[in-house]
Amino acid sequence: MPAIETERLTKYYGSHRGVEEITIAVEQGEVFGFLGPNGAGKTTTIRTLLDLLHPTSGSARIFGLDSRRDSVAIRRRLGNLPGDFGYGKLATGREAVSLLARLRNVSGLGNAVALAKRFQADLERPMGQLSRGNRQKIGLILAVFHQPELLILDEPTSGLDPLMQEEFLALVREERERGCAVFLSSHELDEVQRVCDRVGIIRDGRVVAVERVSELLEKTPHRVSVQFAEPAGIESLRGLAGVSDLEASDGRVRFKLTGAIDPVLKAIAAHTVFDLEVAHPTLEEVFLTYYQDESSDRTQNRVTGGKTE
Amino acid sequence: MTALIAAQLRERRRSLLSWGLPIGVWSAFVVAIYPSVESALTKAVRSYPATLKEAFGISELSTVEQYLHAEMLSLIVPLAVGYLAVRSLASGLSGAAESGRLDVLLSAPVSRRRVVTASFCAAAVELAAVLAVSLALTLLGSLLSGANLSFPPALAGFANVWPLALLSAALGVIVTGFSLRTSVVTGSVAGVLVGMYVADLVGRLDPGLDAVRYASVFRYYGNAIENGIDPLSFLGVTAAAALLAATGAALFERRDLIS
Repeated sequence: MPAIETERLTKYYGSHRGVEEITIAVEQGEVFGFLGPNGAGKTTTIRTLLDLLHPTSGSARIFGLDSRRDSVAIRRRLGNLPGDFGYGKLATGREAVSLLARLRNVSGLGNAVALAKRFQADLERPMGQLSRGNRQKIGLILAVFHQPELLILDEPTSGLDPLMQEEFLALVREERERGCAVFLSSHELDEVQRVCDRVGIIRDGRVVAVERVSELLEKTPHRVSVQFAEPAGIESLRGLAGVSDLEASDGRVRFKLTGAIDPVLKAIAAHTVFDLEVAHPTLEEVFLTYYQDESSDRTQNRVTGGKTE
Repeated sequence: MTALIAAQLRERRRSLLSWGLPIGVWSAFVVAIYPSVESALTKAVRSYPATLKEAFGISELSTVEQYLHAEMLSLIVPLAVGYLAVRSLASGLSGAAESGRLDVLLSAPVSRRRVVTASFCAAAVELAAVLAVSLALTLLGSLLSGANLSFPPALAGFANVWPLALLSAALGVIVTGFSLRTSVVTGSVAGVLVGMYVADLVGRLDPGLDAVRYASVFRYYGNAIENGIDPLSFLGVTAAAALLAATGAALFERRDLIS
């Protein structure tokens, strides 16, 4: 049974689009990255899963339970870090953990003290006196201190310094090893690439791709640069399948390659090659690939005077 | 539930000082000056037009209890504590939504109804505590000045504010069913309270408009410091507040919580 399963989940705010027909499944013990720019619909999806927003149509099931009807039972089994975490000014982290522990029937403070030590979080100061990063640490502790079966994290590393981001990624890996499913929304492409098993890319409220991170990287063009001894080398590459954006200057040929590299190697082997570089795509490039169409559409719309969003 | 109520009361602990202290000190001052202004007041009130006295519920100002009612309990305390009530309620719902605390609470296995009920109960406790502090300070003022304010009528006078304020909190729950902005919740309920007061006043001044008083909680408020608490009105307003809060909770459960 998947930890999260949505079926054409749609949310509109009046006439404004929130998300449309989101269909995804997150398996237990899987770290699933939900990637998209601000306004794409990541937070709307998460808030609908948590029953903070009610879907316009479609459905969401968590551990096989209906996200609306069984929301209290579902929340017993999950931990959540809301985007832009806040908790008021007067309460301390200890008071917040203590309240959540009582609501969750956790004895004492659970793992909170150990987590606070690990993340160097101050549980004793009122949260109004904490910096954004230090508040975010409290939010992380509140999400994981009770060892949930599912973690839903909305932009979790927002405000954390690089060392704490590393610590956070280590924690996510540990949670996965424990069997916890993690649903992590982010526009930090690097962290998703490093910690997620699969990635869903959301654009304009719709999921445009769900892939394993490795497969996603394979689909995106590699950047190849070849230094030939003679200018004629470029001709051997023209027309090869998967080769695009071919350009040459000073004997160096640069192009993008999608798919197998073997035909390219065989083609250039007929010439004298001084240097060959193959750069693997970053997730940022993957991301841009999925957004290119949108940019083209917008440009086209501007040219034709069409209405754009 | 008790954990939620205790947490909200902890968040609101400063209100005992910021509301109970000024209301109590003001009431204490009113009581304390009574012995020195008593005779002048009695003469002045006798010269007031009957309709004016009727409108403001003043018969005589020949006792410190009558003076306390006219100066504090007829208008200032109910409006101030009514406003505190909606602020207290809002801090647990719309204020919690604005600060992000509501999202955290609703990540736990707690229904929205429980959150609303806890906020309403916490407001009820806070109001009782603020009224108790105000009463204590008023009695202290009487003791120090020798004004001879009796405890039972004073207790009745301050206790009688509680159902009215509770109704204000309940109206706050209703508004929260439509808006999660604290300024909207507190502003609209404060407006309704003032409107109810004006409706009651108009109804008293013009017998032809007496029917409008039935829509005002002040119609049922009366003058408990002189006449004692009317159990029917006290329980009726409390029950109406509970009913409105339950309706508001249902509205709150149905709405989207937009961050």
